[in-house]
Amino acid sequence: MSFWFWYGLQHGIQTTRYPRVHEDAGGVSPGRPVTTRFASSAEAEAAASECPVGAIVSRDHFAEVELRRCIHCQRCRYPAAHAVDWKSDYEWTSTPAGKSSYEELPGAYRRSLHVMVVDAGDCGACLHEVKQLNNPYYNVHRLGIFFSPTPRAADVLLVVGPVTENMRLPLLKTYDAMPNPKRVLAVGACAIDGGVFGRSLMSAGGVEAVLPVDLQVPGDPPPPLAVLHALLAVTGRKTPRAISDDAMRAR
Amino acid sequence: MPSVPERVDLANLYKHLQERFPCTMSAANSGAIAAVTLNDLACLPLLCRFLFWEEGCSFGGLIVEENARRWELRYLFLAPYTGWIEVLIRLPLELTTVPSVSAEIHAADWYEREAEDLFGLQFEKHPRLGDFILHDQLWEEDVAPFRKSFDISQTRANGQRNLNWRPLLVVQDPGAFAMPVGPVYAGGIGESVHFMLETVGEDVLRAVPRLFFNFRAVERIAEGKNVADTLLLAERFAATSSFAHSLAFCSAVESICGVAVPSRAAQLRLVLSELERLRHHVGTIAGICDSTALNVSAAQAAIIEEQLLRASCRISGHRYLFGLNIPGGLRRDFADDQTGYLVSATNEALEQLHVLEERLSFTSSFLDRLEEVGIVDRKSGRDLNLVGPVGRASGRCHDLRRECPYGAYDRYEFEVAQEQEGDGYARLRVLFAEAYQSGNLIRQAIQSLQAGPISVACDLDRSGAALGWAEAPIGATIHWVRLAEGGKVERYRAITASFNNWMAFHSAVEDFAFQDFPIILATFGLSATECDR
Amino acid sequence: MTAITLIRVSLGLLFVSCGCGVVLCTVFQPKACLRVIAVLGALSSGLMMLASSVVLISGQTPVIQLWNLEGFGHLSLRLDNLSSIFLFISGLVYLPASLFVSRYLRDRFQGRYPARRFGVLHFALMGSVVVILSAQDAYSFLISWECMSILCYFLVNYEQNRGTDARAGYVMLAMSEAGFLCVVLAFLIVGRTASDFTFPTLAVTARHLSGAGVWAAFLLGFLGFGVKAGLVPVNFWLPRCYTAAPTAFVPILAGVTLNLGFYGILRLNVDLLPGHLIGAGLLVLVTGSATALVGILYATAENDVKTMLAHSSIENAGIIVAGIGASLVFRAAGFAVPAAIALTAALYHVVNHSVYKTLLFQGAGEIEAATGTRQMDSLGGLARLFPGLSVVFLVACLSISALPPFNGFVSEWLMLQSLLRSAVLSSAVVKIVFALCGAVLALTAALAVTCFVKAYAMSFLGLKRGVWKLDSSGLFGRSGFSSAYLAVACLLLGVLPTFIIPVLNRAVGPITGASATTSLVPAFFKAGESKQELPPAFVEDFHNLGAQTGAKILPGRGLVILVRGNQPNPVVFASSPSYSILALAILLMVTWLIVRRSTRESNTSKNEPWAGGIPRLLPEMTYTATGFSNPVRVVFQAIFRPNTIEDTRQTVSVHFRTAIHRRRDETHLVDRLFFHPIGDAVVWFAKRLAEMHHGRLNAYVSYTVGFLLIILLLYRLT
Repeated sequence: MSFWFWYGLQHGIQTTRYPRVHEDAGGVSPGRPVTTRFASSAEAEAAASECPVGAIVSRDHFAEVELRRCIHCQRCRYPAAHAVDWKSDYEWTSTPAGKSSYEELPGAYRRSLHVMVVDAGDCGACLHEVKQLNNPYYNVHRLGIFFSPTPRAADVLLVVGPVTENMRLPLLKTYDAMPNPKRVLAVGACAIDGGVFGRSLMSAGGVEAVLPVDLQVPGDPPPPLAVLHALLAVTGRKTPRAISDDAMRAR
Repeated sequence: MPSVPERVDLANLYKHLQERFPCTMSAANSGAIAAVTLNDLACLPLLCRFLFWEEGCSFGGLIVEENARRWELRYLFLAPYTGWIEVLIRLPLELTTVPSVSAEIHAADWYEREAEDLFGLQFEKHPRLGDFILHDQLWEEDVAPFRKSFDISQTRANGQRNLNWRPLLVVQDPGAFAMPVGPVYAGGIGESVHFMLETVGEDVLRAVPRLFFNFRAVERIAEGKNVADTLLLAERFAATSSFAHSLAFCSAVESICGVAVPSRAAQLRLVLSELERLRHHVGTIAGICDSTALNVSAAQAAIIEEQLLRASCRISGHRYLFGLNIPGGLRRDFADDQTGYLVSATNEALEQLHVLEERLSFTSSFLDRLEEVGIVDRKSGRDLNLVGPVGRASGRCHDLRRECPYGAYDRYEFEVAQEQEGDGYARLRVLFAEAYQSGNLIRQAIQSLQAGPISVACDLDRSGAALGWAEAPIGATIHWVRLAEGGKVERYRAITASFNNWMAFHSAVEDFAFQDFPIILATFGLSATECDR
Repeated sequence: MTAITLIRVSLGLLFVSCGCGVVLCTVFQPKACLRVIAVLGALSSGLMMLASSVVLISGQTPVIQLWNLEGFGHLSLRLDNLSSIFLFISGLVYLPASLFVSRYLRDRFQGRYPARRFGVLHFALMGSVVVILSAQDAYSFLISWECMSILCYFLVNYEQNRGTDARAGYVMLAMSEAGFLCVVLAFLIVGRTASDFTFPTLAVTARHLSGAGVWAAFLLGFLGFGVKAGLVPVNFWLPRCYTAAPTAFVPILAGVTLNLGFYGILRLNVDLLPGHLIGAGLLVLVTGSATALVGILYATAENDVKTMLAHSSIENAGIIVAGIGASLVFRAAGFAVPAAIALTAALYHVVNHSVYKTLLFQGAGEIEAATGTRQMDSLGGLARLFPGLSVVFLVACLSISALPPFNGFVSEWLMLQSLLRSAVLSSAVVKIVFALCGAVLALTAALAVTCFVKAYAMSFLGLKRGVWKLDSSGLFGRSGFSSAYLAVACLLLGVLPTFIIPVLNRAVGPITGASATTSLVPAFFKAGESKQELPPAFVEDFHNLGAQTGAKILPGRGLVILVRGNQPNPVVFASSPSYSILALAILLMVTWLIVRRSTRESNTSKNEPWAGGIPRLLPEMTYTATGFSNPVRVVFQAIFRPNTIEDTRQTVSVHFRTAIHRRRDETHLVDRLFFHPIGDAVVWFAKRLAEMHHGRLNAYVSYTVGFLLIILLLYRLT
């Protein structure tokens, strides 16, 4: 059995140095569309019309991106004529629409955070990305973040999926079973506004319809580093973006 | 010695069918080779029995459609190396009782339960209808959300709860009780599935899964949408096999529109399918190592998986290969340096995988936990129509890439991995073997990549219905699409491999030790969300 | 009034009150009978305790001459130290038991119970128990023993019209008679050449017995008294009997009559027989250990509360008898101090067992009256409904599991310590036997914890699993004065062992020749006094540690039990439950204060239990009693040997499983090995005899002729 020990040592340290250093390895994040200035409003309109979920709105020469609705279909990225710019970063956590401030967890939780993950109808990608946080590349244990098997010992409720009707009650029970102080994190476009599934008989259309959400992570799916950024933002080690500051900056 | 199913002689089959059953054979509906329209409803079980047991076809699934005038029920069978046969039943709308075929084909059990829950059809002599997709504790009895008359856009304000609901327990022993596991996953990060493990204290006698906590009614939401939007739904209801699902969907639409995909696109589709299969299998292997708590191997497998995810992202812009398939081909092309990079990334992953496999085969404590655990024998595998690597580990040799080749699969050589024992270790060996074959296929396809267009124009303003299929990482996947005038989707049906295999899961979990439960779950590698849709 | 007069008067009053009880119960109405039982029963118990405590305190043991019958000799009574200890225990238990009988029958049946006969039998039994314990000659002993057996039979089968199993009483009666015969034979062997049958005379005669005679008397006596004490292989009547006996009687059956078996064994072996047989002692030790193991295994696997307690009584009987056996071995080998420790442990366990077993059976009776069921698989959630009963039942379960600060801890600990003293013995074989028996007793202690965790948790905690309805009168489930009395007794016996041991020493000392008090509880408080017993430097060290705390307030020798060793190591082990409970109480108080101080706002919220998000946690999703003890059943499968009666799997449409039926049955080990073979042998023999009754006249005539010939032949030969 000792060969497992040496085998593990052979591979050296693969862990990213985020959050101390920005991680720029290839393939770590799909990137995100950013508000782009076009030569004419017709091009901006054409760019906006590529988006199937209405995440891009054209205003004069600008194609403004509402990242919370983006589902990473990349249709806006590739047409040669009116492609929207994409930025390869991953720090996208934002507060829900209408809330501009966020109350972080007290300082005692900074390096000891327990997260309860609930799959409320997720397609599997967001859940898979959250699972990658335990692999040697990201290794959230070094940051003091742990995934709890029970809500009784959890501080953060991380919800993925648009909250299907069959999972509504278990999700509410999980939230009720968590002791105060607690925060709710909605990860993925489905958890924010239902994604491609929207609101229907079987889907509540996002976690906000069911629980009070503190932070949201856009993306379909958000890469592991984006989820990690959100978990750090819960305790104040990182700052969430306010809503659409991209638009503000471009102006 | 892997066994190969016999090719079905179509002419003989037609003769037998016409002799024994009151049916009419007609030309292929696009995608299927034969449509058998059965005129007498009472013969349905016998016909299905004939096809499944005597002719050796495997069961594909049940497609229920509600037209303006009548019901159309299609029972799909796959005649190996020959093609799809659909048995078509037409019923007037008022008649909602159909004889059940689940006594003859046990694999049809859950299809009929699904039809009953969603459409309100009654299947006579079915052993257990109800409490399937619409859980009894939440939903009233006569809700049929897939009927055209039902408005699915309304949300329920507060779900009605039946407080007197009790689970159906099977073990009748004075001291028996049932341990509930889930639906909120109890071990950290996992999908929402609910199990009742019935036991008398030591061994678990029976474990029954309750699924459909992730049911989003994708098939119903798609109705009325255009093809592009439905493609989004098709690739995003089960993201870890998203490329295979989008491939099946696009093949169906291409069949309706009668277009043939250019050969470069077919080859690249093969490359991306195999990339997804490789990544998915490595993820399942990581899950198996994790469930047996061999942490170093789980970490090493996770490293390989992350490398493949990053490679996927570098060439396609998305870690899970979303948004690549369109009807007619691929959305965009790949440059030579990208494909070269992919080959080198794949080779590196396979090298590490070889080392991992070798190390694991020498770790007896790991093998002890997998051998003779969760056995599905060959007979049960045939009976319950197991598909995918799980089925191939139980002696079944069905692989859609071989039996019913699609895309560029008929151009390349590859082996179909097969094992006989049907236990956890056999499933692990099949996963490794298929991963190597996938790498092999990627290399072959990229080496022989032809120049040419990456897609053809597809005129979507057509009406018609067709079948599209693909061998997803978990197993055989079938998508059926019916387009109406104006290119709107009228009926979309997704039959997934996880649905089939979850139906068969109960046969692997009878009389087992409680500690083996996560291991059996991990070796099956099933996706609840793919089953639930 | 001198001590002797006091003893005579109280004993006399005791018999008078029992007699009054019998008479009044025949005369009064049933409702009034219950009051008579309570009042006169309490009075009698008080007199029992008075008489025995005067004997123990004053040391006077007067002989009370009864009658001088022709052919029987003098019938006399005498309360010596051993008798008075057992008499005190009986009084201690009879007080709450009588009160319980009265309250229970009044509440349960509202005056419709045939309490008259019950009262008569109750007081008659009390009288016969007193006579057994104070008998000074074999005739009064044996006559009252037989009376006691018959009265027990009547009381066990008291409710046979209500559907209880009448066969249980018959088995008990048959076994009691068989045991009685063995005891009579033992007395006859001992007193073959005696002039009269008083115990002192028998003791003298016994010294002249040959080796075979001693062995024969010992074996017969052990077998005979072992029936009453519930030892393997003659205890197969006990579980059946305890389950079938009415709730009003079972506490007395378990708390008083069981002790008579131990008394008999002790009286025979330490008083009447010469004590030089190591083999006899070893046999007693091994039998006790085996009994203990078998008893607790079946108790852990049992789901009926009453039957489980019956098996647990068997286990405790085994422990007591093992202690007696160890003491006999040490005494025969000439080591008086270990013998004293072992006998003290055994007697302490008798006291403890009587107290907590009575409490447990009373609790089981209350549970059955309140819910209508005894099956632990169907109980659950009673703690919320009956908080008082839950507390006393918990105290009893903790006591029987030998957890400090309750009484079971002291006696179990002393028992294991005494077995460890076997290091001083010289024979290797004996030491190995001691080691094995010690291991078996340790195993039984562990299994006892499992058993009573299951008993308490499955009955009182969790969700209600069955479909029983609570009895609407609300009279049951209260823990009355009797339960509280016993629970407090459990606590006091556990916390003040240093005061109990000197009392037991009064009996132990003369028997073994060494003082248990000196070896276990030297005068620790006063450094001067203890100079003779412990090295002064050693005492100084302990005093510096604070062992003198409480010396000014508390009388007596100290609060620490020491197990003494040799010169280089004067103390092998020390224990003080009194200080432990004090420390425990202080720590809990301090913790509570700190927690109260440091948590300012109350952040606690009450919520339903987390069950994975299912809509409701149903009772069928919680552990059952069978499930809890199944691992024990599986591990000890070789002993249980369950037969699978039914293991069918029903399916519909060939593949859909609708039901899995499983039923298993087991025959008790003792039944399998002894009862059924003996029964089968007797039946076989009876069948052979029955073949003689064929109805042919000619053969009957030939029987007569043949018998005549045999007699003539015998007459000729002798």
